[in-house]
Amino acid sequence: MAAVDAMPVPAPRGRMMLSGSRALGATLLLAPAVLFFLVVFIIPVGLMIRYSFYQQTTTGDLTATATLANYVRLASVDLYRTVVLTTLRVSLWTTVISLLLAYPLALVMVRGNALVGRALTVIVLAPLLINVVVRTYAWRVILANGDNGVLNWTLAHFGLGPVQILYTEWAIVIGSVHVFLPMMVLPLSAALGKINPSVEEAARTLGASSFDVFRRVTFPLSIPGLAVGCTLVFSLTASSFVTPALLGGNFAKMLGTLVEEQIMTVFDWPFGATIATLLTVIVMAVNLASVWLIERRFPSRASEGH
Amino acid sequence: MSEGGLGKGAVLLYAITGVITLFLLVPLLFPIALSFSDTPFVTFPPQGFTLQWYWKVINEPDFTTPFLFSVQLGLLSALCALLLGTPTAMGLVRYNFPGRGVIQGLVLSPLVFPMLVTGIALLRLFTSINSHSSLTNLVIGHTLVTVPYVIRTVSASLLLIDPSTEDAARTLGAGRWQTFWRVTRPQIVPGLFAGGIFAFVTSFDNYAISMWLADAENFPMPMAMFALISRMFDPGIAAIASLMILMSIVIVVVLERLTGLQRAMSV
Repeated sequence: MAAVDAMPVPAPRGRMMLSGSRALGATLLLAPAVLFFLVVFIIPVGLMIRYSFYQQTTTGDLTATATLANYVRLASVDLYRTVVLTTLRVSLWTTVISLLLAYPLALVMVRGNALVGRALTVIVLAPLLINVVVRTYAWRVILANGDNGVLNWTLAHFGLGPVQILYTEWAIVIGSVHVFLPMMVLPLSAALGKINPSVEEAARTLGASSFDVFRRVTFPLSIPGLAVGCTLVFSLTASSFVTPALLGGNFAKMLGTLVEEQIMTVFDWPFGATIATLLTVIVMAVNLASVWLIERRFPSRASEGH
Repeated sequence: MSEGGLGKGAVLLYAITGVITLFLLVPLLFPIALSFSDTPFVTFPPQGFTLQWYWKVINEPDFTTPFLFSVQLGLLSALCALLLGTPTAMGLVRYNFPGRGVIQGLVLSPLVFPMLVTGIALLRLFTSINSHSSLTNLVIGHTLVTVPYVIRTVSASLLLIDPSTEDAARTLGAGRWQTFWRVTRPQIVPGLFAGGIFAFVTSFDNYAISMWLADAENFPMPMAMFALISRMFDPGIAAIASLMILMSIVIVVVLERLTGLQRAMSV
């Protein structure tokens, strides 16, 4: 439950200009949080990004002049380029598979039997409260290589296998889909719930088949939810650590595991800051692309994205 | 709405949904099944039945110490998040002014910003200012990422009450604090409660911030479990996982009884 969509708090009506006493009230209430966020969030992130433009000398000090050397290193060294590409590939596959699984789930949640819908909501939400380490551990038990893994034991019974999935990109994709699927289902079911059933009814009355109704009416109207869901799943997968560390190990590294290694083991702060900045840029780019997509297709709904 | 809302494909759709539901739930059953196995190693299928692994882990300091530390960290972070988030929610809900949107975006931004990066930035900050108290650093970091949940749940509660009761109290001569404590607070208890539980759970489960700020004496539960996975090969690790799953189920039931899970998680 790292990030449920950042739903804006509705603004109160009127009172755009504050009188003296009210302005004091607002300042007293908001100043602590604004100060806190500036000091422990905005400024540190800014400093970290600045760090990525310097290099560390052997004594641990920073070089005097700014440089792009860290970024050049990240892009030119094969090992690091592989990690960047793995991260993008795993995040993309996780997003695509989550999307395919989330759609039927969200449709049944919103349109199906009320009792089933309620049960599904709990089934989708509840795992969000289970620690990600525990959920990932479950997948290690299932995917374990060798014959005491659940999957290989099952395959052996059918005379198949064994398969080696643990410590590959696919293990990370499977684990990430399991962990982040709710992040796709929730915005999608919210978007589907907003579609006026009479629009679909009208299409059907006019002779459209079920498939046509879905393709021409339901699906296009669900795009804002899809965009938010894809953004969340992609961002969360790209910046995850636990799942790639436990399921990918040393054989399938992602940016999250690489940055941990650079900062906690190699102590190369500037290079670590560079990887963190790249992660930030990827996440921001996906967010902006999603906002752009929603604005282009649904000018009136733009404010519902983020 | 009836099945009619799903059209002709309803049966197929229900079948697919059933399979996906199994995909979501069944993996969580394996650690539970393995935790009762009477074997020295985690192995599938489990053999025999024993509760010895549960007995072992609740007497195992590698489990109990981090567990109690995470409870302490979660309570401190939830308290700080409530103290910081409640006034912020009131400021955002009760006042409208230029720049309100910017402040709102700022205080909700930890929800969309990659948390791993937030953690790195915090470690950089604490190293630069020589702040070596791990507990303080962790509480600050966890407060930063839990306060948005409090702001959202408290805002939702504030929107439900009539601001004129507050205006009346002020007109009758009550101070700001008195008005809050005697008039506003009693009416937003559900929001404060849901926000507090959420902040606690988010802190208890947090990995992406803790991994940068923890040290050997201040070692939260998720990190301990991560470390034990590569060190503990007996079913004790499955027992720990099962206990964590049990704890989550209890929280789900409490939230569902209290406000309804869906409303508590503001979807």
